[in-house]
Amino acid sequence: MSDGHGTGERESATAELARCREEIERIDNEIVSLLARRLKLGKRTGDLKRAAGLPILDPTREAAVIRRVTGVARDAQLPTEPIREIFWQIVGMSRRVQEQTSESL
Amino acid sequence: MIIVTKSDVSDAEIDHIRERIESLGMRTHLSRGERRTIIGCIGDESLLDEVPLRSLPGVESVTPVLKPYKLASREFAADRTVVRVGGRDARAEFGGREISVIAGPCSVEGRDMLLSTAREVRQAGASMLRGGAFKPRTSPYAFQGLGEQALRLLVEVRAATGLPVVTEVMDTRQVDLVAEHADMLQVGARNMQNFSLLAELGRVRRPVLLKRGLSATVKELLMAAEYIMANGNHDVVLCERGIRTYETATRNTLDIGAIPVLKRESHLPVIVDPSHAGGDAELVAPLAFAAIAAGADGLIVEVHPDPERALSDGDQSLAPTGFATMMQSLAAFAAAAGRTMGTPAEARAVA
Repeated sequence: MSDGHGTGERESATAELARCREEIERIDNEIVSLLARRLKLGKRTGDLKRAAGLPILDPTREAAVIRRVTGVARDAQLPTEPIREIFWQIVGMSRRVQEQTSESL
Repeated sequence: MIIVTKSDVSDAEIDHIRERIESLGMRTHLSRGERRTIIGCIGDESLLDEVPLRSLPGVESVTPVLKPYKLASREFAADRTVVRVGGRDARAEFGGREISVIAGPCSVEGRDMLLSTAREVRQAGASMLRGGAFKPRTSPYAFQGLGEQALRLLVEVRAATGLPVVTEVMDTRQVDLVAEHADMLQVGARNMQNFSLLAELGRVRRPVLLKRGLSATVKELLMAAEYIMANGNHDVVLCERGIRTYETATRNTLDIGAIPVLKRESHLPVIVDPSHAGGDAELVAPLAFAAIAAGADGLIVEVHPDPERALSDGDQSLAPTGFATMMQSLAAFAAAAGRTMGTPAEARAVA
Protein backbone atom coordinates (compact mmCIF):
# COMPACT_ATOMS: atom_id res chain seq x y z
CA MET A 1 0.00 0.00 0.00
CA SER A 2 2.91 2.39 0.66
CA ASP A 3 3.49 3.18 -3.01
CA GLY A 4 4.64 6.76 -2.64
CA HIS A 5 1.46 8.51 -1.45
CA GLY A 6 2.40 11.03 1.23
CA THR A 7 0.26 11.85 4.26
CA GLY A 8 -0.79 15.22 2.76
CA GLU A 9 -1.89 13.61 -0.48
CA ARG A 10 -3.88 11.00 1.41
CA GLU A 11 -5.63 13.64 3.55
CA SER A 12 -6.67 15.70 0.54
CA ALA A 13 -7.93 12.56 -1.20
CA THR A 14 -10.03 11.72 1.89
CA ALA A 15 -11.48 15.23 1.95
CA GLU A 16 -12.25 15.09 -1.78
CA LEU A 17 -13.91 11.69 -1.31
CA ALA A 18 -16.20 13.14 1.37
CA ARG A 19 -17.16 16.00 -0.99
CA CYS A 20 -17.89 13.53 -3.80
CA ARG A 21 -20.12 11.51 -1.49
CA GLU A 22 -22.08 14.61 -0.46
CA GLU A 23 -22.61 15.45 -4.14
CA ILE A 24 -23.74 11.87 -4.80
CA GLU A 25 -26.30 12.17 -2.01
CA ARG A 26 -27.63 15.41 -3.48
CA ILE A 27 -27.98 13.73 -6.89
CA ASP A 28 -29.73 10.72 -5.30
CA ASN A 29 -32.22 13.11 -3.67
CA GLU A 30 -32.86 14.69 -7.05
CA ILE A 31 -33.39 11.28 -8.67
CA VAL A 32 -35.94 10.34 -6.01
CA SER A 33 -37.85 13.62 -6.36
CA LEU A 34 -37.81 13.29 -10.16
CA LEU A 35 -39.22 9.76 -9.78
CA ALA A 36 -41.95 11.14 -7.51
CA ARG A 37 -42.82 13.70 -10.18
CA ARG A 38 -42.84 11.03 -12.87
CA LEU A 39 -45.13 8.77 -10.85
CA LYS A 40 -47.51 11.66 -10.19
CA LEU A 41 -47.76 12.21 -13.94
CA GLY A 42 -48.29 8.47 -14.35
CA LYS A 43 -51.26 8.68 -12.00
CA ARG A 44 -52.63 11.60 -14.01
CA THR A 45 -52.24 9.70 -17.32
CA GLY A 46 -54.07 6.79 -15.69
CA ASP A 47 -57.03 9.05 -14.93
CA LEU A 48 -56.94 10.50 -18.45
CA LYS A 49 -56.79 7.03 -20.03
CA ARG A 50 -59.88 6.06 -18.08
CA ALA A 51 -61.65 9.28 -19.08
CA ALA A 52 -60.79 8.58 -22.74
CA GLY A 53 -61.92 4.96 -22.41
CA LEU A 54 -58.41 3.62 -23.14
CA PRO A 55 -56.86 0.55 -21.47
CA ILE A 56 -54.28 1.20 -18.69
CA LEU A 57 -51.82 -1.35 -20.04
CA ASP A 58 -50.28 -0.04 -23.26
CA PRO A 59 -47.29 -2.22 -24.29
CA THR A 60 -46.77 -0.26 -27.52
CA ARG A 61 -46.31 2.97 -25.57
CA GLU A 62 -44.03 1.23 -23.02
CA ALA A 63 -41.85 -0.18 -25.82
CA ALA A 64 -41.63 3.27 -27.40
CA VAL A 65 -40.60 4.84 -24.05
CA ILE A 66 -37.86 2.23 -23.64
CA ARG A 67 -36.62 2.66 -27.20
CA ARG A 68 -36.50 6.44 -26.80
CA VAL A 69 -34.45 6.36 -23.57
CA THR A 70 -32.14 3.74 -25.12
CA GLY A 71 -31.30 6.30 -27.81
CA VAL A 72 -30.86 9.10 -25.25
CA ALA A 73 -28.52 6.88 -23.19
CA ARG A 74 -26.52 5.94 -26.27
CA ASP A 75 -26.12 9.61 -27.26
CA ALA A 76 -24.91 10.31 -23.72
CA GLN A 77 -22.43 7.44 -24.15
CA LEU A 78 -23.91 5.47 -21.27
CA PRO A 79 -24.19 1.66 -21.37
CA THR A 80 -27.67 1.06 -22.82
CA GLU A 81 -28.59 -2.31 -21.27
CA PRO A 82 -28.47 -1.19 -17.60
CA ILE A 83 -30.39 2.00 -18.52
CA ARG A 84 -33.05 -0.13 -20.20
CA GLU A 85 -33.31 -2.27 -17.05
CA ILE A 86 -33.74 0.82 -14.86
CA PHE A 87 -36.43 2.19 -17.15
CA TRP A 88 -38.33 -1.09 -17.29
CA GLN A 89 -38.49 -0.79 -13.48
CA ILE A 90 -39.73 2.80 -13.74
CA VAL A 91 -42.29 1.95 -16.41
CA GLY A 92 -43.48 -0.95 -14.21
CA MET A 93 -43.82 1.36 -11.17
CA SER A 94 -45.77 3.85 -13.24
CA ARG A 95 -48.10 1.14 -14.52
CA ARG A 96 -48.81 -0.03 -10.96
CA VAL A 97 -49.60 3.52 -9.85
CA GLN A 98 -52.03 3.87 -12.76
CA GLU A 99 -53.73 0.61 -11.84
CA GLN A 100 -54.02 1.59 -8.15
CA THR A 101 -56.11 4.62 -9.04
CA SER A 102 -58.58 2.41 -10.89
CA GLU A 103 -59.10 0.30 -7.73
CA SER A 104 -59.72 3.34 -5.55
CA LEU A 105 -62.39 4.71 -7.90
CA MET B 1 -37.58 -17.38 -29.93
CA ILE B 2 -34.13 -16.09 -30.79
CA ILE B 3 -33.27 -13.63 -33.51
CA VAL B 4 -29.77 -13.70 -34.97
CA THR B 5 -28.94 -10.36 -36.56
CA LYS B 6 -26.87 -9.66 -39.66
CA SER B 7 -23.20 -8.94 -38.99
CA ASP B 8 -23.56 -5.33 -40.18
CA VAL B 9 -26.72 -4.60 -38.13
CA SER B 10 -26.98 -1.01 -36.85
CA ASP B 11 -27.96 0.11 -33.35
CA ALA B 12 -31.10 1.71 -34.80
CA GLU B 13 -32.09 -1.59 -36.45
CA ILE B 14 -31.59 -3.46 -33.17
CA ASP B 15 -33.67 -0.83 -31.33
CA HIS B 16 -36.42 -1.21 -33.93
CA ILE B 17 -36.52 -5.02 -33.70
CA ARG B 18 -36.68 -4.87 -29.90
CA GLU B 19 -39.41 -2.22 -29.96
CA ARG B 20 -41.55 -4.36 -32.27
CA ILE B 21 -41.24 -7.35 -29.92
CA GLU B 22 -41.69 -5.34 -26.72
CA SER B 23 -44.82 -3.68 -28.19
CA LEU B 24 -46.46 -7.09 -27.83
CA GLY B 25 -45.85 -7.08 -24.08
CA MET B 26 -42.78 -9.36 -24.38
CA ARG B 27 -39.27 -8.62 -23.20
CA THR B 28 -35.98 -8.91 -25.06
CA HIS B 29 -32.48 -9.85 -24.04
CA LEU B 30 -29.48 -8.74 -26.07
CA SER B 31 -26.29 -10.79 -26.30
CA ARG B 32 -23.42 -9.36 -28.31
CA GLY B 33 -20.72 -11.85 -29.26
CA GLU B 34 -17.56 -11.41 -31.24
CA ARG B 35 -19.13 -12.60 -34.47
CA ARG B 36 -22.87 -12.30 -33.99
CA THR B 37 -25.53 -10.55 -31.97
CA ILE B 38 -28.56 -12.36 -30.64
CA ILE B 39 -31.88 -10.93 -29.50
CA GLY B 40 -33.74 -13.36 -27.26
CA CYS B 41 -37.51 -12.99 -26.85
CA ILE B 42 -39.07 -13.74 -23.48
CA GLY B 43 -42.81 -14.14 -22.94
CA ASP B 44 -45.77 -15.67 -24.74
CA GLU B 45 -44.22 -16.68 -28.08
CA SER B 46 -47.55 -17.14 -29.85
CA LEU B 47 -47.82 -13.31 -29.87
CA LEU B 48 -44.86 -13.21 -32.28
CA ASP B 49 -47.00 -14.68 -35.07
CA GLU B 50 -48.28 -11.14 -35.64
CA VAL B 51 -44.83 -9.76 -36.50
CA PRO B 52 -43.04 -10.60 -39.77
CA LEU B 53 -39.76 -10.95 -37.88
CA ARG B 54 -37.75 -12.30 -40.81
CA SER B 55 -38.49 -9.26 -42.93
CA LEU B 56 -37.38 -6.68 -40.34
CA PRO B 57 -34.18 -4.89 -41.39
CA GLY B 58 -31.06 -6.37 -39.83
CA VAL B 59 -32.54 -9.83 -39.15
CA GLU B 60 -30.51 -12.79 -40.39
CA SER B 61 -32.52 -15.70 -38.95
CA VAL B 62 -35.29 -16.50 -36.48
CA THR B 63 -35.26 -19.74 -34.49
CA PRO B 64 -37.73 -21.00 -31.90
CA VAL B 65 -36.26 -22.15 -28.56
CA LEU B 66 -38.17 -25.30 -27.71
CA LYS B 67 -36.64 -25.74 -24.25
CA PRO B 68 -38.39 -24.47 -21.14
CA TYR B 69 -35.28 -22.50 -20.11
CA LYS B 70 -34.52 -19.52 -22.32
CA LEU B 71 -32.00 -17.13 -20.71
CA ALA B 72 -29.94 -20.11 -19.50
CA SER B 73 -29.99 -21.90 -22.86
CA ARG B 74 -26.94 -22.05 -25.11
CA GLU B 75 -28.95 -20.61 -28.02
CA PHE B 76 -29.70 -17.38 -26.13
CA ALA B 77 -26.07 -16.28 -25.84
CA ALA B 78 -23.75 -15.35 -28.66
CA ASP B 79 -20.73 -16.65 -26.72
CA ARG B 80 -20.12 -18.66 -23.56
CA THR B 81 -20.58 -16.61 -20.43
CA VAL B 82 -17.59 -15.72 -18.30
CA VAL B 83 -18.69 -14.94 -14.74
CA ARG B 84 -16.43 -12.45 -12.98
CA VAL B 85 -16.32 -12.50 -9.19
CA GLY B 86 -15.01 -9.88 -6.76
CA GLY B 87 -13.45 -6.51 -7.43
CA ARG B 88 -10.09 -5.01 -8.11
CA ASP B 89 -8.48 -6.13 -4.86
CA ALA B 90 -9.70 -9.75 -5.00
CA ARG B 91 -11.01 -11.29 -8.19
CA ALA B 92 -11.65 -14.61 -9.91
CA GLU B 93 -13.50 -15.71 -13.03
CA PHE B 94 -15.30 -18.80 -14.26
CA GLY B 95 -15.86 -19.94 -17.82
CA GLY B 96 -12.73 -18.59 -19.48
CA ARG B 97 -9.68 -20.61 -20.53
CA GLU B 98 -8.43 -20.90 -16.97
CA ILE B 99 -9.63 -23.51 -14.51
CA SER B 100 -10.63 -21.76 -11.27
CA VAL B 101 -10.53 -23.63 -7.98
CA ILE B 102 -12.46 -22.58 -4.87
CA ALA B 103 -11.13 -24.11 -1.67
CA GLY B 104 -11.62 -23.76 2.06
CA PRO B 105 -13.30 -25.27 5.09
CA CYS B 106 -16.84 -26.59 5.12
CA SER B 107 -17.62 -24.22 8.01
CA VAL B 108 -15.79 -21.18 9.31
CA GLU B 109 -14.75 -22.35 12.78
CA GLY B 110 -12.56 -19.41 13.80
CA ARG B 111 -10.12 -16.75 12.62
CA ASP B 112 -6.87 -18.73 12.85
CA MET B 113 -8.10 -21.80 11.02
CA LEU B 114 -9.68 -19.71 8.27
CA LEU B 115 -6.63 -17.52 7.73
CA SER B 116 -4.16 -20.41 7.73
CA THR B 117 -6.34 -22.45 5.36
CA ALA B 118 -6.76 -19.46 3.04
CA ARG B 119 -3.00 -18.86 2.89
CA GLU B 120 -2.27 -22.51 2.17
CA VAL B 121 -4.89 -22.95 -0.53
CA ARG B 122 -3.77 -19.71 -2.18
CA GLN B 123 -0.20 -20.96 -2.15
CA ALA B 124 -1.41 -24.16 -3.84
CA GLY B 125 -3.16 -22.22 -6.62
CA ALA B 126 -6.75 -21.73 -5.43
CA SER B 127 -8.34 -18.56 -6.77
CA MET B 128 -11.22 -18.27 -4.29
CA LEU B 129 -12.01 -19.08 -0.67
CA ARG B 130 -15.09 -20.94 0.52
CA GLY B 131 -16.36 -21.09 4.09
CA GLY B 132 -19.80 -21.77 5.48
CA ALA B 133 -21.37 -19.23 7.84
CA PHE B 134 -24.92 -20.58 7.85
CA LYS B 135 -24.93 -24.37 7.57
CA PRO B 136 -27.91 -26.42 6.39
CA ARG B 137 -27.41 -29.54 8.48
CA THR B 138 -29.54 -32.66 8.23
CA SER B 139 -29.78 -32.75 12.03
CA PRO B 140 -30.98 -29.73 14.03
CA TYR B 141 -28.54 -30.79 16.78
CA ALA B 142 -25.45 -30.62 14.53
CA PHE B 143 -23.18 -27.51 14.44
CA GLN B 144 -25.16 -24.78 12.63
CA GLY B 145 -22.33 -22.40 11.74
CA LEU B 146 -21.05 -19.15 13.27
CA GLY B 147 -23.42 -16.94 11.26
CA GLU B 148 -22.65 -13.23 11.13
CA GLN B 149 -19.39 -13.68 13.00
CA ALA B 150 -18.22 -16.03 10.23
CA LEU B 151 -19.18 -13.44 7.60
CA ARG B 152 -16.98 -10.84 9.31
CA LEU B 153 -14.09 -13.33 9.45
CA LEU B 154 -14.48 -14.05 5.73
CA VAL B 155 -14.20 -10.33 4.96
CA GLU B 156 -11.12 -10.06 7.15
CA VAL B 157 -9.40 -13.03 5.51
CA ARG B 158 -10.35 -11.79 2.04
CA ALA B 159 -8.51 -8.54 2.80
CA ALA B 160 -5.49 -10.41 4.17
CA THR B 161 -5.17 -12.85 1.26
CA GLY B 162 -6.75 -11.20 -1.79
CA LEU B 163 -8.99 -14.24 -2.29
CA PRO B 164 -12.64 -13.44 -3.08
CA VAL B 165 -15.07 -15.40 -0.89
CA VAL B 166 -18.16 -17.51 -1.50
CA THR B 167 -20.57 -18.56 1.22
CA GLU B 168 -23.99 -20.14 1.34
CA VAL B 169 -27.20 -18.19 1.79
CA MET B 170 -30.01 -20.37 3.16
CA ASP B 171 -32.89 -17.97 3.52
CA THR B 172 -34.37 -14.95 1.76
CA ARG B 173 -33.94 -12.98 5.01
CA GLN B 174 -30.16 -13.47 4.85
CA VAL B 175 -29.65 -12.39 1.24
CA ASP B 176 -28.80 -8.72 1.87
CA LEU B 177 -26.59 -9.50 4.84
CA VAL B 178 -24.58 -12.16 3.01
CA ALA B 179 -24.36 -10.03 -0.17
CA GLU B 180 -22.81 -7.23 1.91
CA HIS B 181 -19.98 -9.51 2.97
CA ALA B 182 -19.39 -12.14 0.28
CA ASP B 183 -18.24 -11.81 -3.35
CA MET B 184 -20.38 -14.74 -4.49
CA LEU B 185 -23.52 -16.28 -3.00
CA GLN B 186 -23.99 -20.02 -2.91
CA VAL B 187 -27.33 -21.78 -3.17
CA GLY B 188 -26.94 -25.19 -1.56
CA ALA B 189 -28.23 -28.42 -3.05
CA ARG B 190 -31.11 -28.53 -0.56
CA ASN B 191 -32.29 -25.09 -1.64
CA MET B 192 -31.99 -25.50 -5.41
CA GLN B 193 -35.76 -25.36 -5.83
CA ASN B 194 -36.44 -22.76 -3.13
CA PHE B 195 -38.00 -20.48 -5.70
CA SER B 196 -38.49 -17.47 -3.43
CA LEU B 197 -34.77 -17.59 -2.54
CA LEU B 198 -33.84 -17.91 -6.23
CA ALA B 199 -36.04 -14.93 -7.13
CA GLU B 200 -34.47 -12.85 -4.34
CA LEU B 201 -30.99 -13.70 -5.63
CA GLY B 202 -32.10 -12.49 -9.04
CA ARG B 203 -32.32 -9.00 -7.58
CA VAL B 204 -28.82 -9.02 -6.11
CA ARG B 205 -25.75 -7.71 -7.92
CA ARG B 206 -23.53 -10.62 -6.91
CA PRO B 207 -22.72 -13.78 -8.86
CA VAL B 208 -24.52 -16.91 -7.69
CA LEU B 209 -23.05 -20.40 -7.33
CA LEU B 210 -26.03 -22.70 -7.89
CA LYS B 211 -25.56 -26.28 -6.69
CA ARG B 212 -27.54 -29.09 -8.24
CA GLY B 213 -30.13 -30.63 -5.91
CA LEU B 214 -29.64 -34.16 -4.60
CA SER B 215 -32.38 -35.54 -6.82
CA ALA B 216 -32.64 -32.81 -9.43
CA THR B 217 -32.41 -33.44 -13.16
CA VAL B 218 -30.20 -31.34 -15.44
CA LYS B 219 -33.37 -29.68 -16.73
CA GLU B 220 -34.48 -28.78 -13.19
CA LEU B 221 -31.04 -27.31 -12.47
CA LEU B 222 -31.27 -25.15 -15.59
CA MET B 223 -34.82 -24.07 -14.67
CA ALA B 224 -33.48 -23.01 -11.25
CA ALA B 225 -30.81 -20.94 -13.03
CA GLU B 226 -33.55 -19.50 -15.24
CA TYR B 227 -35.38 -18.29 -12.10
CA ILE B 228 -32.36 -16.27 -10.98
CA MET B 229 -31.73 -14.92 -14.48
CA ALA B 230 -35.37 -14.06 -15.16
CA ASN B 231 -35.27 -11.86 -12.06
CA GLY B 232 -32.33 -9.89 -13.42
CA ASN B 233 -29.11 -11.58 -12.30
CA HIS B 234 -27.33 -13.24 -15.21
CA ASP B 235 -24.13 -14.15 -13.35
CA VAL B 236 -24.83 -17.77 -12.47
CA VAL B 237 -22.26 -20.57 -12.13
CA LEU B 238 -23.70 -24.11 -12.15
CA CYS B 239 -22.27 -26.75 -9.82
CA GLU B 240 -22.54 -30.54 -10.15
CA ARG B 241 -22.05 -32.07 -6.67
CA GLY B 242 -23.22 -35.65 -7.04
CA ILE B 243 -26.73 -37.04 -7.11
CA ARG B 244 -28.52 -39.64 -5.00
CA THR B 245 -28.41 -43.13 -6.47
CA TYR B 246 -28.68 -46.67 -5.09
CA GLU B 247 -24.89 -46.76 -4.59
CA THR B 248 -23.82 -46.51 -0.94
CA ALA B 249 -20.03 -46.84 -1.30
CA THR B 250 -19.90 -43.13 -2.14
CA ARG B 251 -21.89 -40.39 -0.39
CA ASN B 252 -23.41 -39.37 -3.74
CA THR B 253 -22.71 -40.39 -7.32
CA LEU B 254 -20.82 -37.73 -9.27
CA ASP B 255 -22.72 -37.28 -12.52
CA ILE B 256 -19.80 -36.79 -14.92
CA GLY B 257 -22.15 -36.94 -17.90
CA ALA B 258 -23.96 -33.85 -16.60
CA ILE B 259 -20.87 -31.73 -17.27
CA PRO B 260 -20.76 -32.03 -21.10
CA VAL B 261 -24.58 -32.02 -21.20
CA LEU B 262 -24.77 -28.75 -19.22
CA LYS B 263 -22.09 -27.23 -21.43
CA ARG B 264 -24.06 -28.23 -24.52
CA GLU B 265 -27.41 -27.00 -23.18
CA SER B 266 -26.24 -23.78 -21.52
CA HIS B 267 -23.74 -20.93 -21.95
CA LEU B 268 -23.22 -20.75 -18.17
CA PRO B 269 -19.96 -21.95 -16.55
CA VAL B 270 -20.03 -25.37 -14.86
CA ILE B 271 -17.94 -26.35 -11.85
CA VAL B 272 -17.80 -29.55 -9.81
CA ASP B 273 -17.73 -30.29 -6.07
CA PRO B 274 -15.75 -33.54 -5.70
CA SER B 275 -15.83 -33.32 -1.87
CA HIS B 276 -19.61 -33.71 -1.45
CA ALA B 277 -19.87 -36.07 -4.42
CA GLY B 278 -17.58 -38.69 -2.92
CA GLY B 279 -17.95 -37.88 0.78
CA ASP B 280 -14.46 -39.29 1.28
CA ALA B 281 -11.13 -37.43 1.20
CA GLU B 282 -9.52 -40.25 -0.81
CA LEU B 283 -12.01 -39.79 -3.63
CA VAL B 284 -11.60 -36.01 -3.99
CA ALA B 285 -8.55 -36.01 -6.30
CA PRO B 286 -9.72 -38.71 -8.75
CA LEU B 287 -13.17 -37.13 -9.03
CA ALA B 288 -11.58 -33.69 -9.54
CA PHE B 289 -9.37 -35.08 -12.34
CA ALA B 290 -12.39 -36.68 -14.04
CA ALA B 291 -14.38 -33.43 -13.77
CA ILE B 292 -11.68 -31.34 -15.42
CA ALA B 293 -11.12 -33.97 -18.10
CA ALA B 294 -14.86 -33.87 -18.86
CA GLY B 295 -14.78 -30.12 -19.46
CA ALA B 296 -15.64 -28.52 -16.09
CA ASP B 297 -14.63 -24.86 -15.73
CA GLY B 298 -13.55 -25.21 -12.12
CA LEU B 299 -13.86 -26.98 -8.79
CA ILE B 300 -15.02 -26.29 -5.26
CA VAL B 301 -13.06 -28.34 -2.72
CA GLU B 302 -13.27 -28.65 1.06
CA VAL B 303 -9.92 -28.13 2.79
CA HIS B 304 -9.49 -28.14 6.57
CA PRO B 305 -6.22 -27.55 8.48
CA ASP B 306 -6.99 -30.58 10.66
CA PRO B 307 -9.76 -32.69 9.07
CA GLU B 308 -9.91 -35.03 12.08
CA ARG B 309 -11.07 -32.17 14.28
CA ALA B 310 -13.40 -30.47 11.77
CA LEU B 311 -16.82 -29.52 13.21
CA SER B 312 -18.49 -30.64 9.96
CA ASP B 313 -17.66 -32.80 6.95
CA GLY B 314 -14.24 -33.88 8.30
CA ASP B 315 -14.34 -37.18 6.41
CA GLN B 316 -14.41 -35.53 3.02
CA SER B 317 -12.04 -32.62 3.72
CA LEU B 318 -8.52 -32.61 2.39
CA ALA B 319 -5.63 -31.43 4.55
CA PRO B 320 -3.72 -28.52 2.93
CA THR B 321 -0.85 -30.82 1.86
CA GLY B 322 -3.29 -33.20 0.14
CA PHE B 323 -4.89 -30.25 -1.62
CA ALA B 324 -1.50 -28.98 -2.85
CA THR B 325 -0.62 -32.43 -4.21
CA MET B 326 -3.97 -32.64 -6.02
CA MET B 327 -3.49 -29.19 -7.55
CA GLN B 328 -0.08 -30.18 -8.92
CA SER B 329 -1.47 -33.29 -10.62
CA LEU B 330 -4.51 -31.37 -11.87
CA ALA B 331 -2.39 -29.26 -14.24
CA ALA B 332 -1.85 -32.21 -16.61
CA PHE B 333 -5.61 -32.91 -16.80
CA ALA B 334 -6.29 -29.23 -17.45
CA ALA B 335 -3.72 -29.21 -20.26
CA ALA B 336 -5.26 -32.36 -21.78
CA ALA B 337 -8.65 -30.61 -21.80
CA GLY B 338 -7.12 -27.58 -23.53
CA ARG B 339 -7.27 -25.44 -20.38
CA THR B 340 -4.77 -23.74 -18.11
CA MET B 341 -4.60 -23.62 -14.33
CA GLY B 342 -5.19 -20.22 -12.74
CA THR B 343 -2.18 -18.20 -11.70
CA PRO B 344 -1.86 -18.31 -7.92
CA ALA B 345 -3.09 -15.09 -6.29
CA GLU B 346 0.37 -14.40 -4.91
CA ALA B 347 1.99 -14.38 -8.35
CA ARG B 348 -0.84 -12.14 -9.61
CA ALA B 349 -0.32 -9.67 -6.78
CA VAL B 350 3.36 -9.34 -7.68
CA ALA B 351 2.66 -8.87 -11.38
